[in-house]
Amino acid sequence: MANVSVAAEWQLLYNRYYRKPEIYQMRWKHVDLSRNKVACASFGGPIAVIRDDSKIVQLYAESALRKLRIFNSAGVLLSETVWKHPGGRLIGMSWSDDQTLISIVQDGTIYRYNIHAELIQPNVTMGKECFEQNVVECVFWGNGVVCLTEGGQLFCISDFKTMKPYKLADVPGLTDDDMLQPTCLAVREPQYTMSGNVEVLVAVGDEIYVVDEDEAQSIRFDEPSVEDSEMQNDDNGNLIGPVQKMIVSPNGKFLTLFTHDGRVVVVGMESKQIAIDYSCESALPPQQMAWCGMDSVLLYWDEDLMMVGPLGDPVHYFYDEPVILIPECDGVRILSNTSLEFLQRVPDSTESIFKIGSTSPAALLYDALDHFDRRSAKADENLRLIRSSLSEAVESCIDAAGHEFDVNRQRALLRAASYGQAFSSNFQRDRVQETCRTLRVLNAVRDPDIGIPLSIQQYKLLTPVVLISRLINAHSHFLALRISEYLGMNKEVVIMHWACAKITASASTPDAHLLEILLDKLQLCRGISYAAVATHADNCGRRKLAAMLVEHEPRSTKQVPLLLSIGEEDTALVKATESGDTDLVYLVIFHIWQKRPPLEFFAMIQGRVLARDLFVAYARCHKQEFLKDFFLSTGQIHEVAFLLWKESWDMGKNPMASKGSPLHGPRIKLIEKASNLFSQTKEHTFEVKAAEEHAKLLRIQHELEASTKQAIFVDSSINDTIRTCIVLRNNRAAAKVKSEFKVSDKRWYWLKTFALATIKDWEALEKFSKEKRPPTGFRPFVEACIDADEKAEALKYIPKLSDLVERGEAYARIGMAKEAADAAAQANDGGELLERFRKTFSQNAIFDTLKMPFQGVS
Amino acid sequence: MAQIPNLENAPLNLKSIREKSQRELVNLLKDIRGTKCLVIDPKLSGSVSLIIQTSTLKELGLELRHLSEEPVQTECTKVVYLVRSQLSFMKHIASHIQNDISKAIQRDYYVYFVPRRSVACEKILEQEKVHNLVTVKEFPLYMVPLDEDVISFELELSEKDCLVDGDVSSLWHVAKAIHELEFSFGVIPKVRAKGKGSVRVADILNRMQVEEPVNTNDVGRPEVDTLILLDREVDMVTPMCTQLTYEGLLNEFLHISNGAVEVDSSVMGSQQEGKKMKVPLNSSIFDAWNRNCDFLGLDKHTVVDKLFKETRDLNFEVVVQVLRQKATTMKEDYTEINSVRLFCRSLPLGSLVFAVEVMTQTVSELKDFVKKLNSLPEMTRHIHLAQHLTTFTSKQSFLSQLDMEQTLVEAESYDICFEYIEELIHKQEPLTKVLRLLVLFSITNSGTELLHSYGFEHVNVLNNLEKAGLLKKQEFKSNWQTVKRTLKLIVEDTDTSRPVDIAYVYSGYAPLSIRLVQQAIHSGWRPIEDILKLLPGPHLETKRSGFPSSPSVDSLHGASNGVADGRRSVVLVVFIGGVTFAEISALRFLASKEGVAYDLIIATTKIINGATLIETFMDKQG
Repeated sequence: MANVSVAAEWQLLYNRYYRKPEIYQMRWKHVDLSRNKVACASFGGPIAVIRDDSKIVQLYAESALRKLRIFNSAGVLLSETVWKHPGGRLIGMSWSDDQTLISIVQDGTIYRYNIHAELIQPNVTMGKECFEQNVVECVFWGNGVVCLTEGGQLFCISDFKTMKPYKLADVPGLTDDDMLQPTCLAVREPQYTMSGNVEVLVAVGDEIYVVDEDEAQSIRFDEPSVEDSEMQNDDNGNLIGPVQKMIVSPNGKFLTLFTHDGRVVVVGMESKQIAIDYSCESALPPQQMAWCGMDSVLLYWDEDLMMVGPLGDPVHYFYDEPVILIPECDGVRILSNTSLEFLQRVPDSTESIFKIGSTSPAALLYDALDHFDRRSAKADENLRLIRSSLSEAVESCIDAAGHEFDVNRQRALLRAASYGQAFSSNFQRDRVQETCRTLRVLNAVRDPDIGIPLSIQQYKLLTPVVLISRLINAHSHFLALRISEYLGMNKEVVIMHWACAKITASASTPDAHLLEILLDKLQLCRGISYAAVATHADNCGRRKLAAMLVEHEPRSTKQVPLLLSIGEEDTALVKATESGDTDLVYLVIFHIWQKRPPLEFFAMIQGRVLARDLFVAYARCHKQEFLKDFFLSTGQIHEVAFLLWKESWDMGKNPMASKGSPLHGPRIKLIEKASNLFSQTKEHTFEVKAAEEHAKLLRIQHELEASTKQAIFVDSSINDTIRTCIVLRNNRAAAKVKSEFKVSDKRWYWLKTFALATIKDWEALEKFSKEKRPPTGFRPFVEACIDADEKAEALKYIPKLSDLVERGEAYARIGMAKEAADAAAQANDGGELLERFRKTFSQNAIFDTLKMPFQGVS
Repeated sequence: MAQIPNLENAPLNLKSIREKSQRELVNLLKDIRGTKCLVIDPKLSGSVSLIIQTSTLKELGLELRHLSEEPVQTECTKVVYLVRSQLSFMKHIASHIQNDISKAIQRDYYVYFVPRRSVACEKILEQEKVHNLVTVKEFPLYMVPLDEDVISFELELSEKDCLVDGDVSSLWHVAKAIHELEFSFGVIPKVRAKGKGSVRVADILNRMQVEEPVNTNDVGRPEVDTLILLDREVDMVTPMCTQLTYEGLLNEFLHISNGAVEVDSSVMGSQQEGKKMKVPLNSSIFDAWNRNCDFLGLDKHTVVDKLFKETRDLNFEVVVQVLRQKATTMKEDYTEINSVRLFCRSLPLGSLVFAVEVMTQTVSELKDFVKKLNSLPEMTRHIHLAQHLTTFTSKQSFLSQLDMEQTLVEAESYDICFEYIEELIHKQEPLTKVLRLLVLFSITNSGTELLHSYGFEHVNVLNNLEKAGLLKKQEFKSNWQTVKRTLKLIVEDTDTSRPVDIAYVYSGYAPLSIRLVQQAIHSGWRPIEDILKLLPGPHLETKRSGFPSSPSVDSLHGASNGVADGRRSVVLVVFIGGVTFAEISALRFLASKEGVAYDLIIATTKIINGATLIETFMDKQG
């Protein structure tokens, strides 16, 4: 019998049932919708209420100052504030998609509030023209608004995030001298238009114009009946005539018009086809008009709410108090002073179960459970009847449960579903679970204290993520956290928002205590960004708390930049160094470098080995002068000396500077300067000497270049200089260089023999060998000759080699195997040498024989 | 034509790492529509060629250029710089852009940093006022697999940066690369480190695990169970010695770069004189092969040079013998077949039956032979290379060099060495060669003469080497004797053809680095702590776990040491500052010994030898 009572509450519009369950008894007291301007957010969002200053109302025991109050959908006061803005009357007020309350006053100023009735800075204005002309009307959509001025101009903000107003095209007749007044406005949202820009529909006189930024075009609609269209076409006017009210359907495809002669007309925006044309009893325009889903249109006059569908007689509901229609994607919420109802088409699944006399499988299943509970055998009979379509029946029960607001009925339907499921083998079992899960969430947020009466369809469209962000915006963190956990979503968003909100709200809590409270919760979520919370703390002016929080951030890449931004440079440097990530250290270095005077900067990095070394590496490449300053200020004089010395080389490399002696002056000066600096330290005697000699060498090389007129000396080594001299047969110069640099005899012999061999001056070489007994022995002579491939010359010196092993090897190298063997035999080393000779000689032979057969193949 | 190394039999799935890098690079380049000019820093181009084929890059509509000071010559309006984040490159890029501006050429510039953006580099671009003109992105190439068991981080300057300049960026890079490996193969539970850098890497690695944890549920049980980190600084002796393995010698004399050596084509038996040619080593791909592969639709990289795989780690002396043996058998086979053929031809018709019988007998042999013939190109190639090497190794100077090294390592009679080095200086032998010995010798008395011979610009090298602690001016007491004795670094009577100890790679000297690794694997640091204290830098031995909520690693593994479940455990040995081929050979030798239950993966900042290592210490300033 329960079934009957359910369907008894339904109304039939042609062939479709509608129901209008009460969701809340409003918790508020003394709120009279007729005295107030009211803005209700869709998706069960908050309700903003403020006394309507365009009406004359009686004040009871209340202040003359107006208050903006924000309630949840169940009428629980969330927040309130006194409204004392200048700028004239409040023209329009609406909630944006992200639940910001947008209110526009006469002079075009926009005041924005969050759900806590806190004014969001800065205030924006619709522009100069609005200020001068006054706004008379505005139409909102989820993410924008269009304003009409007294001068008949239209202005638009198409994105509340950027808040950039712009002017739309002028509408003919409005701005001309005849100064017609538009009868009504409607907006087609950007997401539904071809151009992707917002389109404003303006009814002026007989015409309806579609206005965008560039132009205003009038549109016409076809009459439904063919017979009278011919004659009416002749008068060339709009067939529908002046329009008193219009609204666009939720999907942007249809337009509902209320005409001057009391007709409700629904036309397609693209097709221009008329879908509904219903004549009302009176031509008085309704106070409110709204789409109910996509199926019917609601019109509201005082005490009478009429629902019109494409076919059949309209349904009337009567109210003895004012109501406000709140369109949703799948119905309309009806708010009155005392209650909130949800008018929706009865879902197919619900209809199939509860329709009076329904014998659908779902209805039978639901009935079967009833019998089962009453231990009636009829339960089995029912099941038998629907065996073949059991899974369909289960599905319907689950679906119907989802659409219910009443918890008991949800439970009954779900029980029926799981009862049927037990007999059905091929049903996806997680469907019941999933619906249970969803319903738990929905029931939780529908609780009057939270007051978000979402239907399952709205919930799916809104998505859990957005629901959670709405909950945390309303500071229902705990519920948001539980829902996130329950749905297996990332808790980070919730905890993060909570932490930030907590910091904002706890201005008087001491840092240490607040930190404790925060850490307690932040630890719930691994990988949460402590740095982000710390940034917020810093923005709230709690630098010390920020420093304490950032200490807990494990990711140095996040920690270090934040430390820098809160001025904790020292800690930043320590943390960056610890991380081992040199890139971070550089980040800190550059930051300090930019902010501090050089000396302070130097002092800071001098003690930090890694920072100092990295700075030096960078400066060596890019800022050499600055590097010198650094070394000087930190007393590393020898490093400056090295830099100067290096500069002298760079100068030498520069082809412009390397030719011609006058330009060598600066190079030598640099080297001498370097040498001076080296000598100021104790540990660099080696460098002092080297630098001195280098300068001396350069001078001598200049002189040599001048005297020989050949630019081949500069920047060669001492050895090479001597060699060049010998090659040029300038023995005096060679000897001079030798004595200047105290070149040892041994080195001299090696040098000279090889130099003479390169110019093949064998005569001179022999003479040289006889000058005195060579301090090196005769090895240099032998090697020089062998290298030059002069066996005959080599043979002059080989016998003079005192070491027998050496002698043997030398013979071997010029291919005199027998002499080599003889020498080796004389050498007293246990035949080792002899063995080696055999090996090398035989090995080479092996390779040659091996390669032969393959020559052709490869 | 660097070859992409074959990674089929790697103990870890290194291929997936390479493929990831490939994808990342291709996607980065695809992001820019149309034709573009890719300007790549020369060293990096070598690394990139090991992960992706040049032809693939060209298919993306790229013109390839090397980065230098010279402005880029191209018609393209889009120029992409692919560079390592080194400060010196930024000036080139800035000057290129400024040059374009001065000539009123309009182009889009992209700078892709490898492996990541760098504040310091971008600072330079900012100061040169070009930062707003470039799109900056990163190509996170932290490592390049060189071989089945070798990974390189391609940080050739790591040792010098750390020791001389105190720039430890490379340590972060190494840690990051290991952490990347952990994302694929799990958190490595056991860590052993020796040396300042190594201990720091272990520390950074732990930090990374805290900051950006490897989710153990994603990767499952760790595939690598021990990580051994070793600073090059700990053992500077080994790289200064001449490597005596085949691959090591090839590197010493011919310088292996990106898996190939460049030689005069006459060396390889070609008639064209004076032309250079590149000879690939780790894979055997000849043009003919390539064509066949294309034709057959085979994957080109699957052809492995088996002969090289067999010989690379052997002492060169032995390689010559092996080659001789193989060639001789082949030659015999070859003549045999030939003679059968001739024999058949000479037979009268009636005896054909008999001939067929002979033939069927030899058919299987013939097949074998044909199979062997496939390896013929490899055979000839290595015979050519080996002969080329003997021209160096048979030289007296080479032998005395070895003598000296041996004497120094054995730490006997320094006087001879001193004289020898002095003579090298007099003869103006290559500076790196002298410095190698000097570092072994570690004295600077002969510094002055060095500058006389080679020029004063080299004062910086000496300064750098001294800063790095490789050369010491003052007398100091060396621990070498103790270390050498305790760790048995000198192994007498090494039979290089049947080695029993790693010492074969240096013909009698067991590299200190590998001895340490050997200890670390087998018994950990504890038994040799006294010795470790004599070597530079701290040491560390820890256990980590990436399983905060699951049973500890130990209980998972038990005392199995990885064999109980039939799975060989993997040990990752990381050398910070470079490793030589001979050391790699020694490690392979360790892992190949019977009864060893682990595979080794070697990771290094760069493959080095004494010369290349010393070169990094030479500022190119003179």
